[in-house]
Amino acid sequence: MSGLRNGAVPARAMEDDSDVEEEALVADYKEQVQYEDGMEDLERVSSLTMAQQADDIQSRLVQAAQPLDFSAPLETKFQSYDSYCNLFHFILNSEGPVDIEPPSHYWAWDVIDEFIYQFNSFSSYRLRIARQARDNEEERQILRENPNTWGCYSVLNVLYSLIQRSQISEQLAAMKRNEDSAAVAGEYGSKTIYRMLGYFSIIGLLRVHCLLGDFSLALKTLDDIELNKKAIHILVYVSRTKNFQKNAQYDSITKKNDQMYALIAICVAFHPTRLDDTIHTALREKYGDQLLKLQRGGPESLPIFEELFRAACPKFISPVPPDFDNPEANVDPIDHHLSIFMDEVKTNMWSPTVKSYLRLYTTMDLKKLAGFLEVQPEELRSLLLVNKQRTKQLRWTDQGLLDGEWVNVSDLDYALQGQAFLCEPSAFQSVAVLTEDW
Amino acid sequence: MDSEDPQERPDGITNIINGLERYNPEASATSRIIYQLNPDRVKDEVITNILVKALTCFPSPQFSLALHLIPPSVLAPANTRNEELPEAVSKLRQLNDQLQGSQYARFWATLDSDDLYADLTTDIEGFEELVRVRIATLVSHAYREIDLPILEQWLGMDGDAAYKFITETAGWTVEGGLVKIPKNPENEAKKSEVREDVNVDMFSRVIRRAWEETA
Repeated sequence: MSGLRNGAVPARAMEDDSDVEEEALVADYKEQVQYEDGMEDLERVSSLTMAQQADDIQSRLVQAAQPLDFSAPLETKFQSYDSYCNLFHFILNSEGPVDIEPPSHYWAWDVIDEFIYQFNSFSSYRLRIARQARDNEEERQILRENPNTWGCYSVLNVLYSLIQRSQISEQLAAMKRNEDSAAVAGEYGSKTIYRMLGYFSIIGLLRVHCLLGDFSLALKTLDDIELNKKAIHILVYVSRTKNFQKNAQYDSITKKNDQMYALIAICVAFHPTRLDDTIHTALREKYGDQLLKLQRGGPESLPIFEELFRAACPKFISPVPPDFDNPEANVDPIDHHLSIFMDEVKTNMWSPTVKSYLRLYTTMDLKKLAGFLEVQPEELRSLLLVNKQRTKQLRWTDQGLLDGEWVNVSDLDYALQGQAFLCEPSAFQSVAVLTEDW
Repeated sequence: MDSEDPQERPDGITNIINGLERYNPEASATSRIIYQLNPDRVKDEVITNILVKALTCFPSPQFSLALHLIPPSVLAPANTRNEELPEAVSKLRQLNDQLQGSQYARFWATLDSDDLYADLTTDIEGFEELVRVRIATLVSHAYREIDLPILEQWLGMDGDAAYKFITETAGWTVEGGLVKIPKNPENEAKKSEVREDVNVDMFSRVIRRAWEETA
């Protein structure tokens, strides 16, 4: 991986900063990248002749897209990491762009997918070993001595470098403006293999940032990709075709499908909204009981939120290697993210109850409502404020994925006056506008 | 309120982003990655300052997004290398829960209950004032009039100081024991129109589905 430092975005980006602390971090970063495992292998590769490489390269490309057996021994996992480093080094740091064609149409996707999958499962595996203090002393030792193998730095470095080399962000931006992307592609980006790897590296970055818990950055990385509300369509597609597909691949699609429904259940419980009929029916079939409990709110909904979150969340990983000397300190990242998520759930858990009462009245004395809800007036004021604040949402229009406009998403609005609240009753107005665009 | 606006960003990050983003869009991402991957190189103060600054953006996901970025092991109670940070973070988390949950009176009481809070918030200039202004803004979104004693508790001040803040900073009027808040788009309680555009193409799906079910 040592060679990647030339193309590394992070190192270059930091040069402008004069802050001492930053400099120290960058120095540390460069050090880590330089003294990576697999360095000897890299040198061996670069001493091969071009002819040998050409013979060899096609089989290596094919190999890189092959799934690694989940139960492969540690040694194989290390070797696999080295092979990826060699391959990406060859692609990124040869003199000029390498002249190879991807072995298949799906190759670039498969490679990035497999690369991140192996990174993810390696990190989870390493954490598991670190938490079991007594067993596996040999493996613990190897992992402790090689903290940078399958390290976040290396993985992020590969993805950022592929994106930068291929000028894919510039190309996509040009396409968005209806300009010729070839004009900004550069000598690397005009080749299929770089363009494809760059494109799927953006998706890969989304995944890695999510795994690390950096959700806003994950969304930001997708800014250049054209999104058009496809996710829901995928669910419709799956529900339509489920009778025709029965194989191993379909099992994993079903699992993803269920996870998406679990997430939709959480979203709908948080912010009631109308769903596509097909989706709504399937959601009730799959998670009917849970959805009902979520929508009812209160303390009984909390275990259901936890259950669905655990079932649907990514296999989060810690951004840093585990502490092998202190097994208890290695908290499962899922618990970490879940507990933060549950803070917000708890803040909102009374909103469904409050809303159900608000729907019934146009004006009401707060003390009376507090009596119905069996809470102190002070608590009720908090609940009303929380509920009111959550009716505002940042709605994405067509700018960057983190931008949008604030809109009122509730069918119910109210204001408080002294000891009473005034509420516009829930005359649910729906206006269907037929637009003719044959 | 746009919580993603750079003005609302935690100071530590703002400096980095403003310094570099103009030149390289990846820079801000990079600096955050460097922080995220090097918890032992980042001072506790930087982490708590970012959290305290994020506190002042309520209600928004800024605080929890920042929490998600802290490596899980750093906050573990069993983290014997640094016992102060987990405690500081859990204290700030309590404050955040109170602000997100609109329990403003309780927030001020908590803030006063331990000297540690003063230490944690001291680096963020005008922390209390920022929180107070946010609370006033949110109150104005929901209330047309409110009892003075309640508002005083929520603002964490009373007497002349409270009167000055309410009439000068917020620009509201006090009549007897009541504070009158001028009308604004948020406290009107008006009927919202839920509007959905349906084009002919989408209708064809409805028809097709009806056909599929009978077929």
